[in-house]
Order: sequence, then structure tokens, then C-alpha cells
Amino acid sequence: MYTFICEDSPNGILSGIYDAWAFKIEQNRRFRSGNTDNVATPCTHEDISLLCREPDNYELFCDYLSVAVSPEKSDKVARTILDRLGMEFYETLINAILAITPEHKKDIDKADAAYKTVVYALNSSAGAQVLHDLANPYIHRIFTLSRATHAEAHHLMGFLRFSELDNGVLFSTIHPKNNALPYLAEHFTDRLPQENFIIYDENRRTAAVHSAGKNFMLVDASDLNQDILKHYSEQELEYRALWQTFFESIAIKARINPKLQASNIPKRFWGDTVELCTT
Amino acid sequence: MNIQQNLSLMEKLAILTDAAKYDVACTSSGVDRKGNGAGMGNSIASGICHTFSADGRCVSLLKILFTNECIFNCAYCQNNCNSDVPRASFTPDEVCELTMEFYRRNYIEGLFLSSGIMISPNYTMDLIYQTLYKLRRVHHFNGYIHVKAIPGADPVLVEKAGFLADRMSINLELPTADSLKKLAPYKSRATILKPMRQIQNSITENKNEVALYRSVPRFVPAGQSTQMIIGATPENDYQIMKVAESLYQKFELKRVFYSAFVNVNQNSDLPMLPGGPPLLREHRLYQADWLLRYYDFTVDELLSENRPDFNIYLDPKCDWALRHLECFPVEINRADYRTLLRVPGIGAKSAQRIVKARRMNRLDFSDLKKIGVVLKRALYFITCSGKMMYHTKLEENYICQNLLADKTQIPKEIRETGYEQISLFDTGMIS
Repeated sequence: MYTFICEDSPNGILSGIYDAWAFKIEQNRRFRSGNTDNVATPCTHEDISLLCREPDNYELFCDYLSVAVSPEKSDKVARTILDRLGMEFYETLINAILAITPEHKKDIDKADAAYKTVVYALNSSAGAQVLHDLANPYIHRIFTLSRATHAEAHHLMGFLRFSELDNGVLFSTIHPKNNALPYLAEHFTDRLPQENFIIYDENRRTAAVHSAGKNFMLVDASDLNQDILKHYSEQELEYRALWQTFFESIAIKARINPKLQASNIPKRFWGDTVELCTT
Repeated sequence: MNIQQNLSLMEKLAILTDAAKYDVACTSSGVDRKGNGAGMGNSIASGICHTFSADGRCVSLLKILFTNECIFNCAYCQNNCNSDVPRASFTPDEVCELTMEFYRRNYIEGLFLSSGIMISPNYTMDLIYQTLYKLRRVHHFNGYIHVKAIPGADPVLVEKAGFLADRMSINLELPTADSLKKLAPYKSRATILKPMRQIQNSITENKNEVALYRSVPRFVPAGQSTQMIIGATPENDYQIMKVAESLYQKFELKRVFYSAFVNVNQNSDLPMLPGGPPLLREHRLYQADWLLRYYDFTVDELLSENRPDFNIYLDPKCDWALRHLECFPVEINRADYRTLLRVPGIGAKSAQRIVKARRMNRLDFSDLKKIGVVLKRALYFITCSGKMMYHTKLEENYICQNLLADKTQIPKEIRETGYEQISLFDTGMIS
């Protein structure tokens, strides 16, 4: 058994897939050539697994190899997937990789699910259609993870709020569980092409920065200047007040239903809105 | 009428939002439109909810009236010319400003513009058209617009507005012509259905043109919708659903909305409804509406002259299944899509996933769970490779009792507003 430990990021996991695959080919080459140190049997994909965190227990009879993040390798894997399996497959896989995975031991590791799913699709005549095989545990894992990221990103496409700063820049702070930022950046770049905006993921300290007429960039924002965020434009508070007036007036008193409201917009989103924020 | 001068934008917004809130439709769905790189906005076919108001309803669009002044006297409407409410009107510029500034801050997905009838239907429709024109052509707004066609307005104005909007709607208001005559004497079935037909024809015509020349401007690309008030008049569910069905079939509407009646005017000719608006009834109508649109059911399968109302304790699909046990059990690995759709606990998404997944592998009950089938409802009606999940009886009373034990038959939000106090034994449901 061989376990590849890779970084929990799209580049990290795609590099892991590259290394694992290359490793299998190399092992088999050595096996065939008769060079049998440590290579007593042919290596199959079942002998290989990926992990995107440190293992809880190191197992006996298992070799652990760590994967260095390589943009070059991950790029090769991405291109192969796009060419042979198509955009939809690629997006599903990336969304799954961007999902957060709480440490439940029972669940299949995200990186391993990604690896096994890619192997399955590339080796099957069904190709990208293997994503429909929800009875397969790896596919099911990718399906649930991808859906989680997609669902949260879709929520935030609505729940995210921009504030206008005094330099005219629209600024938004979000706290998503999954890494929804790339998805959101793309959506708002299409929607607000002529605006300068920043979407700041405070949990991950990353930001999407967009200048009018250009494409967005994802940047590290750990040294973000928090001070400029408090200088709103002159009209900002006025429009917020107008929005709050609208929000209060639109509810029908005879149908007031806080539980329905909280189940439709979960409370963890409230703090970053204008209308439901309590401070 | 209490017409006030010199209201601030804030005061107008409060009045004209309050006046628009009983309109149900707030969806921004039905059209996919990419940003154009220059203006502001795009549109996503699935629609986006931006927040949820205290009543739990989705807020997607800036839903306002242009004015709540009105020359009509519809009894159910709080803006009718006899009611004593503060009146206000926006200017086209004010509506544009609110829409653009709210949209930039991602408060909204677009604009829902309705209106009371000021001076005349034509005068009002023209103001609405001017507002839309400014928004699209001066402010280059490329987001979602839902606009009301005013009954009785010149067809030319309706047509012009339709080329600027994504969705248009005309409210049917009440399910029958009789009720309409009684409660809305200035409106008639004819003034409502005529523009509805006109919009339908223009949509069809435009679709044909777009098929030929791709650059032709789109007319109401997200389709047409309407709304009916439920519980103000004595129509039964069968009559209401029959009307909805014919609107879908004959007028090709995208959506029919149902609005539980709230007696805002404390009008003594209208029901007082001490238990609050008929929310559970509204919920059942929406469930049945989905069965018509996505599950290939007809109204006559669900209801009849002799059984004119929905069972309040069971959702319409479970209710139908219990009366048609001869169609069950259904074999998951073989049944066609339409048959799967009719199984309680299997939704349209699950049915699609089943059809695709079983091409790769035989499915068993644990796979169905992963796919999203609600097994506690479905298990009485399905087999996997010839086996049922548990040893159960295919017998109406037995299944009915088990389904009723499942509390989700009445949504939690409605249960908690008082329905839970009704005992099943009081109504003879279980004998």
C-alpha cells in the first residue's frame, strides 16, 4: 500500500493525482523489467490512496509519500481532465476539492475520492458519465462535496452584501464554510463588469479583487488594511437605511414566521447582511 | 383619498413596499443572460434569493408599486380607492435610482414593478413603460425585470413594455368570473384574459423570430405568470386547480401563484378567517401545481366533483398513490421515468438520478438513500431487484396510518402555527 499525502487545495490534490499515477506507471515498469526490489507484484490503483491531511495513525505495511505542490503537474492533470472528460466533470471535481471536510473518520478522504473518481472516469468507456454512478462510494463522496460548495456559493450569490467605500470601491466580507470565493468572483465579474470590487473571505484570509473592465484576481489578504473598510461613501448609510425600510415593509404581519425565515436563510449568514445583522 | 405632498424617498419606499407586499411572485427565474461587459447585471435561470423577510418569504426583487393611488375599488385590495391609507407615487428616476443602487450592493436580483391605477390604465402603463425604458436604455440595467401589465391598457403600451421586461404578469385575482364581478367591479375576466392572450401570442411570435434571427430583441423571455387569491371566495380546490390547468395549457403560463387571503380591509363582506390566512390550503395547492408542471399529473387524477378538496393531512401525491395501489409496487431498476415520478418520496431530481445511476449499477435501498429518495415515504411503494425494504402490506389503511405518523406531511412551519392541535381522530381520518 502506498499513501500520498498532499495539500488540501486544488493544486495540491491535482499534483497528488499526478504523482500517484506516475508512481504506478514507474512501479509497473520496474516490475516488468525484472527490477523487483520492493516490487514483487504489479501495482494497481487499488494499492494507492491519497490523503489531504496528516493520517491519524500511520499504518504498518504502508509507504507514506508526501506530495509537493506543483502548478506544472496540476496543470497537466487539469488539461487531461478537460480534454478527455469535459468542463462539467472538471467543475464538479474542483467544487468538491474546494469543499470543507470536517474530520469524520468514517468519510472517504476528499483527495482519495478525487483520485479514484478520475481513475474510474479515464478507464471507463462511460467517461464523464461515471459521475451518475452514485452507488459508487467515491463518486457519491465527490457528488456530496461538490453539491455542498455549489449550494453555499449559490446562497452567497444572494446573501453577500457590498458596501461602497469612500473611494467608490464595493467591498464585501464573507465567512463561507467551503471555499466559495472563486465561484463568487466569477459570478460578480460577469454581473458588475464596470465596478471595482473586493470580496474578502475572512475565514481563509483571501480576497477576490476586480477592477473595472478587467478579470478578477485571487490574492492573499492576510495583511488587509482594516481601516479603509470603515470609511464608507457619503450615501452608503442612506441606501442601507432605505434597504432596511424595504425589508421591514415587505413582510406580511399575518404570516410572520421566524422559523421559516431562519431555515431559509441560516443564521450563520446573518452577520454579513445589512438587514439581519444585529450590530 | 389621503394624498400627501413632499414625501421623502424613504417614506415613499415604506408606503409603496407595504402596498406591494401581497403580490406573491418574487421569483427571478426563467432566463439565463450573461453580463454584456458594459452595463450592469446578468440573470441566472434558477433565480437567486437575496434574503428572507420575517414571514419567511424569499426576497429576490425590489417589489414595489409605482403608485398606490387607484381609481378601482377591488374589495380585497388595501389600495382600493375607498380605503384610508397614505398614498404616494414614485417618479421614474426614483425607481431607477433605488434599483441601480440596491443592485450594485447585491441587495436584489432586479425589479418587480406593479402599480395602482392612477388616472387611467393607459396613463399608468405609460409611466411604467417610461421607467423601464430609462432603466434599460439610460442606466444600462441588464438584470431581471418583472412587470405587471395593467388590465385595460392599450396593447401597444403592453407590447413596448414587454420588450424591456423579462417576465410579465396580469393577476387573475379570483378563480371565477362571478367572484371577480362581486369583488372587483372595475375588472372583468375579459380585460384580464385579453392582454394575457396578447402577451402569449407575442411571446410565440418572438420565439419564432429569434429562431430565425438571433439578434432580434427578446419579448418577455422568462414567460408570463399570474396569481389567484385563495379563500376570499367560495371556490373549491377542484375549481381552482382546473383554472390553473387551463392557464398552463391554453395560455402557456410559466407559473400560477396562489395567495392565501388576508382580510386587510376588515371588509365584512369577506371572510374574517380567525385562524389566520389559509396557509395549509395554499401549501397543498402549490404541491398540486408542481404535480401538474413537473410530474405529469392532470387535475382530474387528483380531484373530482365528488372529492373537490385536497386532503389536508396528506400531500396530494401520497393521497393519489393511496387511492391507486394497483399501480404499485414499482421496481426501481426497471420502471420508466414517468412511473418513478409518481412514487411518493421520489422527486423529479431523484427520479432523474435513478434513471442515470441504474445504467451503471443495479440499485438497492442504500443507494436510493444516497440519491436522495425519502425512503420513509417511498418504501411502501417500491421494490429493488424484486424485494421490498421491509415486510409491509400493500393495503390502504396500513400505509395511510404509517404515512400520517410522518410529521413532515404537514410542513413544520405550518404545524407550529396551530394545526398540530387538530387531532386526527376528530376528523374521522383514522377509524
